[in-house]
Order: sequence, then structure tokens, then C-alpha cells
Amino acid sequence: MKLYCIAVLHKGETKVNPLASAHELSSFGYFQRSSVKEFMDFTCKIVAERTIVGSRASVKEQEYICHVYVRSDCLTGLVIADHEYPQRVAHTLINKVLEEFTGKVPKSQWPTANSSTIVYGGLADYLQKYQDPKQADSMTKIQSELDETKIILYDTIEKILEREEKLNDLVEKSEGLSMQSKAFYKTARKTNSCCVIL
Amino acid sequence: MIARRRRTNSGSDSKQNGISSQTSQTFVSEVLLDTDMSCRDRTNEFFSAAKLLQSRQGNGALAQKRNPALRQRSEFTQIAKKIGRDLANTFAKLEKLTMLAKKKSLFDDKPVEIQELTYIINQDIQGLNKQIAQLQQVARSHPNARHVQSHSNSVVVSLQSKLATMSNDFKQVLEVRTENLKHQKTRRDQFSESPSNTTYSNHSSVLFQDEMNHSQGATGGADVVINMDGLDKNRFQQQMQLVDQQDDYIQDRADTMKNIESTIVELGGIFTQLAHMVKEQEEIVHRIDSNTDDAVMNVEAAHSEILKYFQSVTSNRWLMIKIFAVLILFFIIFVVFMA
Repeated sequence: MKLYCIAVLHKGETKVNPLASAHELSSFGYFQRSSVKEFMDFTCKIVAERTIVGSRASVKEQEYICHVYVRSDCLTGLVIADHEYPQRVAHTLINKVLEEFTGKVPKSQWPTANSSTIVYGGLADYLQKYQDPKQADSMTKIQSELDETKIILYDTIEKILEREEKLNDLVEKSEGLSMQSKAFYKTARKTNSCCVIL
Repeated sequence: MIARRRRTNSGSDSKQNGISSQTSQTFVSEVLLDTDMSCRDRTNEFFSAAKLLQSRQGNGALAQKRNPALRQRSEFTQIAKKIGRDLANTFAKLEKLTMLAKKKSLFDDKPVEIQELTYIINQDIQGLNKQIAQLQQVARSHPNARHVQSHSNSVVVSLQSKLATMSNDFKQVLEVRTENLKHQKTRRDQFSESPSNTTYSNHSSVLFQDEMNHSQGATGGADVVINMDGLDKNRFQQQMQLVDQQDDYIQDRADTMKNIESTIVELGGIFTQLAHMVKEQEEIVHRIDSNTDDAVMNVEAAHSEILKYFQSVTSNRWLMIKIFAVLILFFIIFVVFMA
């Protein structure tokens, strides 16, 4: 599962203004990269224009899915990922990015500013971190750890059952041993008590 | 509790020039009383003892020595005061939220306010947490006498416990609110038709509309009336689609949380089973233990018996010789008798 792009835009009344974006293009050939980047930016703009304010959507496009969330204050977050990437994690990521962006960049700059004027460098880190949703998203991490723990516990229970069998074996053997030793003691006592005279 | 804290604040403001430990003592004693810890308020005795000391030793020299310590302590107490004030404010907001959340009528709900208040309280609680951690840092960074250190620790601990009770109350209020939301939803569904099964893309909703129209047509009645109903449902469904898109994401998260919760419960069950099995096997282990003890005892006893036998055999040799000698004597006597 891969993430290809994260973008933050402002959806104004008439036009959409891209504010920040980060791309992960290492899977494409060297000469294709710039065109792929342009295509992704274009897709972001179009999808943001078509999405209604205050809603989430996931648009399928050939082999990519574009998850978009337009907040009620017209700030838009976009994530382009492949088919396997879980939808919930993508939307969680969008929420996080939008919140951080709102904290760092004042609202007045949104309709007018450009990606060159805004200083926001966190997108690349998020892109890297969320490449593996199992590590970055806490709920998936918890789920996978719990599953591992469950497997380990099933193994433990099987081992305990084996242990029980071995303990039963040991009980029988020790019972036999104690009976034999008792017989041994009785024989020894008999040899001692009977032939004293001789 | 809010009134009490205000009195403490104004009291400590007026006493700022005096002995600072007095103010912190008053503050702490008020705070301790608030949290229902079992301690007595002995501030009056402390005041009288301090006055006695003061009159005995004279003020001038002591005040100079205590000035830097005073400044350190007053920084601590100021931060603690600010935290206490913020705590009181957040408590008031939480009470307001509780009142709002408890309303059960269907139409009097103010979801926007409740959400805003929840968000604000959340931020406040996080900020207070950070402030208390900072206070703890400040308390630890200044190397003070032992009793001053323990005093700062107890102040920090009491603030933390208050914050903990407040977060618990907040959680309960949120639970009450979700219960109420669920009730409202069921009641709303009773009175209006439930627009369930709306989906994302337009294709399936068009199909669904066709299906609804067909099923409505099949029930009979005037076609015109039913078509109008179908159109209304169309618009309604489209509106609900928007809400449900957001809901779907939230629903997804809720489902994941439910999964996680059920997994954790399962794990708990497995642990108890594990403990049960181990407890049963403990009895078997005891039996093995007693059997081996018996075996050891028997073997030791048999060993001693054989040793006794061996000793008797070895020590008996002389007796044996003597007995044989007596026997041979008897043989000789018999032979002599016969012959």
C-alpha cells in the first residue's frame, strides 16, 4: 500500500487555491515524474472543485483512489493512494494534516497565498510516516498488536495442554516409583526380621 | 468550591508581602480540604506559631535571607494559583456541558454548542495537563529543603488528582450525551421514515430509487401520489447522503473500535482460561511432589534396613564362629558317645 501525494488546498467561491503539497514519486520512471506530478496537482484541483463543502469523498481513478475532505471552513485536504490503502487511515491523516495546517498558517492567507509564500514543511514527513499505515495509524497498530498477542496466547494454551499431558505422565511414573520403593522396603524388612537366629 | 478558591486567591494576593509559605499553606490547606483528603486544617496554629517566631527573632535579618527563596517559592505558588484558577473555570464549563447534555427533548438539542463546548473543554484539559507537568518541572529544578520539596509534591499531586476527577466527569458526560443521541435517533426513527441504505456513489442510489419506486407501485393506490412520495424521498435521500458520508467515516472508526474492544475482551477471556488451567495443573504437581517424597522415604528406610542387616551379618561372624564351635563340639561329643 502506497501513498502518492498529500495536498492542502483552499476551496474558494469561484476557484480552488493550492496551498501546500508533497509528492512521493519514486515508483515512476525518471522522465515521467514531472508529468505525473502535474497530473496529480490537476486532479487535486478538479476533485476539490467538484466536492461539496463539508463532505468527504473517495474518487477512483484508474489504479489510484483520491480521498478528499472539504471542511466547513473551505479548507480542503487531499490524499492520493492506491487501492489497498485503508480509507479510514487516509481520512484520519487528512484530519491531522488539516488541523496542523490550521494551527500553523493563519486563516487570512488561505484564499490568496501560494505554495511559495506559505511556510509549511510538515507534509513530507507525514507522507513518509504514513506510507506504512500499520505503524503510523494508532488504531491499525493496536489492532495488529492485539492480533499478534492473540496468536501468542493461542500458542501458550497449546503448550499448556502439552504440559498437562507431561504432568500426567510424571504422576503415573512417580506413583509407580513410590509403590516399588514401598515393596523394596517391605522386602528389606522381611529379610532382616526373619533370619536373625541363623 | 469556586467561591472558596476565589477567597483564597484574594487572600493570598493581600498577603503577598508577608511570609509566602503562609499563603501556600493556606492555598494547600484549602485545596486539600476540597479534595476530601483526610487532613485537619491547622493553619491557625501555624499562624500563631509563625507570629511567635517572628516576634522572638525580629524581622529584618530573616527577611533578607529568605528573599531569593521567597522569589522561587512565589513563582511556584503563582503558577499553582494560575492552574487552580484554570481548573475552576474548566469545572464551570464542564457543569454547563453536563446541563446541556442532560436535556432529553427531541427538539431542544443544541448540537453546535455542545460540540464547541466539548472541543473547548478538551483543549483546556490538555493545556492544564501540560501546565501541571511544567509545574512539576519547576518544583524539581529548584533544590529546596526537604519539607519544601514535599510540600510542592503534595500541591502537584492534589492538582493532578483534581484534573483526573475532572477528566472522569468529562468522560461520563460524553457517555451520557452519546446515550441521549442514541435515544433521540431511535425516537426520530419511530416518528419519521428511516432513510437507511444510502450509499456513496450516485449509481446505486439511482438503482435504489428505482427499486423503491417499483415496490411502491406494486402496493397499488394512485400512481401520482406514490410518485410524489418517491420524489420527496429522492431529495431527502440526497440530503442524507451528505450526512451519511461523514457518518460512514465515523461509522468506520466506530466499527474498528468495536473490533478492538471485542478482541481485548477475548484476550481477557483467554487469560482467565489460562490461569484456570494452570491452577488445575497445580494439584497434579502437588501429587507428583508427594509421590516422590514417599518414594524417597521408603528408599531411605529400606537402605537403613539393609545396612542393619549388613551390620548384623558382619558383626555376627564372631557369634557365628562361636556357634559353629559349639556345634562342632556337640558333633565330637556325639561321635565320642557313639564310638
